Amino acid sequence: METVLFILFGAIAVCGAIMVVTRKHPMASALYLILTLFAVAALFVLRQAHFLAAIQVIIYAGAVVVLFIFVIMLINVPEDRLPVERATTMRVLGVLAAGFFILESAVLARRFWMPIGPVAEVGTVEAVGRALFTDYLLAFEITSVLLLAAVIGAIALAKRKI
Amino acid sequence: MFLGNLASLRYFLPEFAVTATILLLVVLHVVTKSPRSTASGFLSLLGVGAAIFLAGVAPAGAGRSIFEGMVAHDGFAVFFKVLTALATLVVIFMSMDSRDLAGRSQAEYYIFLLSTLLGMFLLSSATDIVMLYLALELVSIPSYLLAGYLKGQERSTEAAMKYVVYGATASGVMIYGFSILFGLTGSTQVAEIGRSLAAGKATLPMLLASVMVAVGFGYKIAAVPFHMWSPDVYEGAPTPATAFFSVGPKAAGFAVLVRFYYTVFAAADPGTGLWRLTSAVDWPFLFAALSALTMTVGNLVAVKQSNVKRLLAYSSIAHAGYMLMGFVLLSSAGIEAILFYLVVYLFMNLGAFYVVVLVSNATRGEEISDFTGLGSRAPFAAVALSIFLFALTGIPPFSGFIGKVYLFAEVIHRGVYWLAVVAALNSVVSLYYYTRIVRAMFFEEPKDASAIPVPAVSGALLVLLVAPTLILGVYWEPVARIAADSVRMLAF
Repeated sequence: METVLFILFGAIAVCGAIMVVTRKHPMASALYLILTLFAVAALFVLRQAHFLAAIQVIIYAGAVVVLFIFVIMLINVPEDRLPVERATTMRVLGVLAAGFFILESAVLARRFWMPIGPVAEVGTVEAVGRALFTDYLLAFEITSVLLLAAVIGAIALAKRKI
Repeated sequence: MFLGNLASLRYFLPEFAVTATILLLVVLHVVTKSPRSTASGFLSLLGVGAAIFLAGVAPAGAGRSIFEGMVAHDGFAVFFKVLTALATLVVIFMSMDSRDLAGRSQAEYYIFLLSTLLGMFLLSSATDIVMLYLALELVSIPSYLLAGYLKGQERSTEAAMKYVVYGATASGVMIYGFSILFGLTGSTQVAEIGRSLAAGKATLPMLLASVMVAVGFGYKIAAVPFHMWSPDVYEGAPTPATAFFSVGPKAAGFAVLVRFYYTVFAAADPGTGLWRLTSAVDWPFLFAALSALTMTVGNLVAVKQSNVKRLLAYSSIAHAGYMLMGFVLLSSAGIEAILFYLVVYLFMNLGAFYVVVLVSNATRGEEISDFTGLGSRAPFAAVALSIFLFALTGIPPFSGFIGKVYLFAEVIHRGVYWLAVVAALNSVVSLYYYTRIVRAMFFEEPKDASAIPVPAVSGALLVLLVAPTLILGVYWEPVARIAADSVRMLAF
């Protein structure tokens, strides 16, 4: 059962990702991105990482992509003004190289048998909360400084005159 | 073995000083409503000075792992904290003096500078890959903002944009490498990862991981082939920020490079001062090749530059190459040589950039042609710049020579002769482009012969930067001893 679900959601994620980069209209790309992110969230659920799955949906599918869509709608490029992408030699080579790289990683992972990490009790809300406020407390606090700097930076960049 | 969160607080005072200053700057900016006042500069000076004091007075002892193993408090970290804070201190002085920044709001600039400093503190002490990644981002993100601080100037915006794109790619590749390491070992602790890898024999994923991590670190120290961003960023960013990038994040990058690779992919042989490889991946050779490539590309491209900031950018790439020589030797003397070189490099490179700031304040340009006749227009600044440039070349009796002697001696001692030959040839090449500036200053007639005023405060700071460059060239023992102690205390 788990394998079937894994293959199903994995296929959705991969197909969605391919659609993201091949769609002509940015809005379609953004919507496919949401699909991909949902499928990845489902994969997280299969690995018992409930917290991560919820965060994935709320932050990525919810906040980040909605922001993308806002920007796309604000800029609002008409259909006929969209840039036409051509398959140049470099691009084809790039796709081939990327495909080769992915294939190689998969072969390597199979060949050397990446150990499957502990499954239970790491992705639950309780486990994440505990880790966040004990072992990783410093990282958690430093993130706040990083965000402060980023917020000030965003204002400094966006303000007309500083 | 690990110190808990509360017990760790008293070993975290320098970081507190910096964070408190950042918050105070925000408050000050809101309360005073005069964003262009120099008060924020003085406050930052105070905060960084306090951080240096707190980092310097707290003895690290044998080193301990604090905050549940997130960061280390040891001599190595303290050394880099003092070094990077010192660089920041000088850069704050430079920024208060720079006309690039004069008409703009100051508080945000110093907030970014200090956030980067906090990131560098954590980067040089991180012993957990989660912390390490976070620290790297804390160095990077405010750096992008510093590069693009001259809003409305095309070059500055371009610099920020390029920096963001390269930085995001590099850190993405790096964190992919981290995820492979975590997958192989099931731990985020650097020391734990090292132990697991030494026991196992999964070599190919390890090669992949070590190369991917090298991308992230190589980007921070601007090693070839991850250096593409640096000339454009260095040219476009405000000059004090450029000086900062060329010393601070680079030093922190070396700190994390040494700590990570010497813990994860090598193990110390007690008593000998040597490390042995624990991975089948011959990364020292990989980095030796990178080192040779970095110094060669840096020096050869520098020859053709006509913009002094760009020239110094390529020269700082070349210097990263020299310092990488010490990294590949797997000996504590090699690390010692890097630490010593970083101290020397701090003064000579910041000094060179400071003269560029002073000259471009007056001439509004940074081309070599703007420096013609500086020998008669501002003799003191010209002599100081010549000293810095000769020190960067590595000519005795200046400090750069001693730094190079330490590096070369250890390279030869460990029998990597080809690398020593490459580096020696490179030093000769660098002499050419450094002396080009000196020649322009003293032997070419300026178009505009009016004197360039050097304010007394600027002159004093220049003296403070020239003095170590001269003194460390003849009496370097104390600094070398500090460097040696800092390596010995490197706790894993």
